[in-house]
Amino acid sequence: MLKLLVFMPVLGACLLAVFPGRGQQSLWRLALGFALASLLLTVLLAWSFDPLGEAVQMYESRAWNARLGSYFALGIDGISLAMVMLTAFLSLVAVLVSRNMPGSGRLYFALLFLLQSAMFGVFTARDWSLFYVFWEATLIPLFFMIDRLGGENRQRAALNFFLYTLGGSVFMLVALLFLYDAAPGHSFAMNDMAEGGRALPQNMQLLIFAGLFIGFAVKMPIVPLHGWLPLAHVEAPSPVSILLSGVLLKMGAYGLLRAAETLPAAFVAVQGWLAMLALLSLLYGALLAWRQQDLKSMVAYSSISHMGVVLLGIASLNLNGVTGAVLQMVAHGLAAALLFLVVGLLYRRTHSRDLADYDGLLGRAPRFAFFIAFGLLAAIGLPASAGFIAELHVLVGAYQRWGFWVVALGIAMLVGAAYGLRVIGHLHRPAAPTVQLHDMTRTETTAAALLAGAIVALGVWPMPLLDLVGSSTARIAALFAGG
Amino acid sequence: MIEELRDVADWVWLVPALPLLAALTTGARVLLGRAAGDAGERLTARLTELAALTALLLLVLIDLAVIWHGWPGQKIVGTWFAAAHWQGRISFLLDALSLPVATLTALIGWLVVRFSATYLHRESGFQRYFIVLAMFLGGIQAVLLSGNGLLLFLGWEMCGIASFLLIAHAWQRPVATGNALFAFVTNRAGDAGLLFSLGLAAYWVGSFEWPALLAASLPLVDLRVLVLGFAVAALAKSAQLPFTPWIARALEGPTPSSAIFYGSVMVHAGVFLLLRLEPLLFHLPDVLAGLLLIGTLTAVYAWLCGLVQTDVKSALIYATVFQVSLMLVAIGLGWTTLATIHLCLHAAWRSWQFLLAPSWLQLTRDRPAPPPAWLVGRQAIYTAALQRLWLDKLGVTLLAGPTTAIARDVRALEESFIDRAIGEPGKGRSIDPERPLVCADGLPGRLLAALSLLLQRIENRLLLRGRGGAAERMLREAGRWLQTLEALLEQPRYLMMAVMATFVVIL
Repeated sequence: MLKLLVFMPVLGACLLAVFPGRGQQSLWRLALGFALASLLLTVLLAWSFDPLGEAVQMYESRAWNARLGSYFALGIDGISLAMVMLTAFLSLVAVLVSRNMPGSGRLYFALLFLLQSAMFGVFTARDWSLFYVFWEATLIPLFFMIDRLGGENRQRAALNFFLYTLGGSVFMLVALLFLYDAAPGHSFAMNDMAEGGRALPQNMQLLIFAGLFIGFAVKMPIVPLHGWLPLAHVEAPSPVSILLSGVLLKMGAYGLLRAAETLPAAFVAVQGWLAMLALLSLLYGALLAWRQQDLKSMVAYSSISHMGVVLLGIASLNLNGVTGAVLQMVAHGLAAALLFLVVGLLYRRTHSRDLADYDGLLGRAPRFAFFIAFGLLAAIGLPASAGFIAELHVLVGAYQRWGFWVVALGIAMLVGAAYGLRVIGHLHRPAAPTVQLHDMTRTETTAAALLAGAIVALGVWPMPLLDLVGSSTARIAALFAGG
Repeated sequence: MIEELRDVADWVWLVPALPLLAALTTGARVLLGRAAGDAGERLTARLTELAALTALLLLVLIDLAVIWHGWPGQKIVGTWFAAAHWQGRISFLLDALSLPVATLTALIGWLVVRFSATYLHRESGFQRYFIVLAMFLGGIQAVLLSGNGLLLFLGWEMCGIASFLLIAHAWQRPVATGNALFAFVTNRAGDAGLLFSLGLAAYWVGSFEWPALLAASLPLVDLRVLVLGFAVAALAKSAQLPFTPWIARALEGPTPSSAIFYGSVMVHAGVFLLLRLEPLLFHLPDVLAGLLLIGTLTAVYAWLCGLVQTDVKSALIYATVFQVSLMLVAIGLGWTTLATIHLCLHAAWRSWQFLLAPSWLQLTRDRPAPPPAWLVGRQAIYTAALQRLWLDKLGVTLLAGPTTAIARDVRALEESFIDRAIGEPGKGRSIDPERPLVCADGLPGRLLAALSLLLQRIENRLLLRGRGGAAERMLREAGRWLQTLEALLEQPRYLMMAVMATFVVIL
């Protein structure tokens, strides 16, 4: 089933590449069909997943390169299932909003599904070598998508993004090889490596951790390794921004969680530093977002700030913190996707990202204005949005560990509210009637409403998600309970 | 049939819920723009009437069930919220006090709804009136039937808000809104007492349920404090001294609403609360004596003021207050059964009188009776009665005046210091000429601006972004070196050298 999940998008990409129809609409329908099929498959997965069962379920493994000890091993636990569902959901949203994509839809959809396949692979891989392969595989479609379909500075953004993440993953690869070498089993399977890694002395663990952390921190991104993000987000076309901020950033956090299972001693040793970096990211992202008048870069910087919450949760290494981190991954995925969706669509219509051009948007395009306001409030973590549950968990978890240092989280949220409310205020401001603006079409409204609905649903009734990730996060937290 | 009635009391939650549902439905229809015109009026009136009638019939059925199956007592419908051992339950207490009063109230409610449908026909605010009336009907039933203090408080507040909204029904007139505010604020004092007592109940007794609360064995001092809070709430709601002035101002609303609020139902809510607390009151003879005293004073006051009123609604309201204070006297003397019966009879009689008030002029062609001769002779008492003993003015001088003065001072402080320090929305200056919309004001704003400027510099300088970032320059430099190297390597002589060097290393 997991294999099907991972490779069905590849099939979709191939089909889309050779599909005979010329019209973009037929291509779009086919793509929508595949996206829906993926979502259905993940729902089936969630159906057959038992949250209280064993740690890794639906495990399937096959020797890949037996001499090296690498396996083609797939499996899911609660965290990866949540991420897989998020991926499928956001892919569907991305396909929905790209109905009227200008330019070559064929290449775009094919790349989109290749990307989806790679993302599924990252979240389901149970073998570090496989994980790495999928990790790198996400880069290629993304590079081309930004490079071919982006804004004015797209070439520079794409190259920048590629070099940054490649640079990060080189460190990751070296660290993985070190781990492989140091662990007695000489196998890349995650479980074997985890056993080997835990037995290593602290110094060795720290060294390996440093490499892995650079790789993941670039992706997440954590200040000061975030240089690629503002540019890439600003230049990428809106559906790509959705996936980039919604899913790709979460890969870093997900990898960090997996690394926590493998190198617990290193995590305990650098816990304080991680928290410091997290708080730095939080404040840095929030302050820079506050300074932006360009809507898209504002959202991009706020992403950095919100991923700081995730890191803070992971760094607290207790049940509440880790659960909150996973929830925040989901919540930020949804909220950031909604914001990028709306802002991207606006940009496509007006070719402006400047807030000054959107004064009085409420009167001109009420649906746009509503969803921007909704997305901003959800990103702040207003109660009854998914972000609130997540931030509360992280807050409780981090408070247990560091006490009043979490005030920084509050300040960052306050700054977040400041820029969010500024935008909302401008949307409501009466403005001289200017160029007419087409409001969101029905398909686009559906996509945005799906996201908004998911945010509210998880905010009001988070129990299913908590149950889903609860036992997996408890397992991670149990590793650190003694320390 | 009789057997089927056994479980009818389980449905008692519908009695407050149905009018609320009607209010919500009407509200939704108004919001969606589906309630305009005569057809909309008829549907609204029918809906509210249906809800009121169903509630009445349900209560009658419950009453019938009582005859055959005995008192249902405490009915717990569900848990509203729970935190640790504190439980906010939705429960109802159906006993000899609540059921008769509730049934009578439902009857009056139904009749008033029917009366209002014609009384307010084609008036502006028809829909608004019915929404608020339905909300009141739900609220008052929650007060009467509630099995715990929390639900009572909920209904109590709903009644208070409904009363406020109906007094200000003609909101275009400043007098109406002013009076509504006066009534509302006075009632808040009572609400404070209620909330205070409920908090103490949660703290000392650990439960809001009436049976637990009434059976609680507390030290007499604690009990006295607990009951005093409730008593303040009751006095405010029933317009006893010193809270009486609000009720005279509350007649601003449409007549049917005056009938049900101040004539018959809401004004008795305070008495009802005291009757509900009867077992506690009997432990405290001093509180009873206090109630007796207040009742007597209010009776004298209402009687005196009532003598000189010249319009029918004011005369009626002072008569009402007089009767209510007699109930208080009865409670003070310990005659609670008498008070209950008095309450029911008075409610029925007075609502009829109030509903009749608009047509009073046609019914009686005579002039109203002049004040009695002994009063006319005594100038001082006459003036006092006319001025309603200056209670209104006293309240303004003693409470409103100082509060206004303090508020003015605080406002001045705020304007000259706090606002400037914190910053005000809309007054900020832009921090960067390129970004005119990013504004900051006040100390935190300035701090934020300075900090973000610093970070932006770091961002621009250190990272691979445009505008000649240092890292980019370095990369470009390195690229040039590599290019030169490559160009050199492409020339055969250096290529050969490189190959030979490789050989040397390998060998």
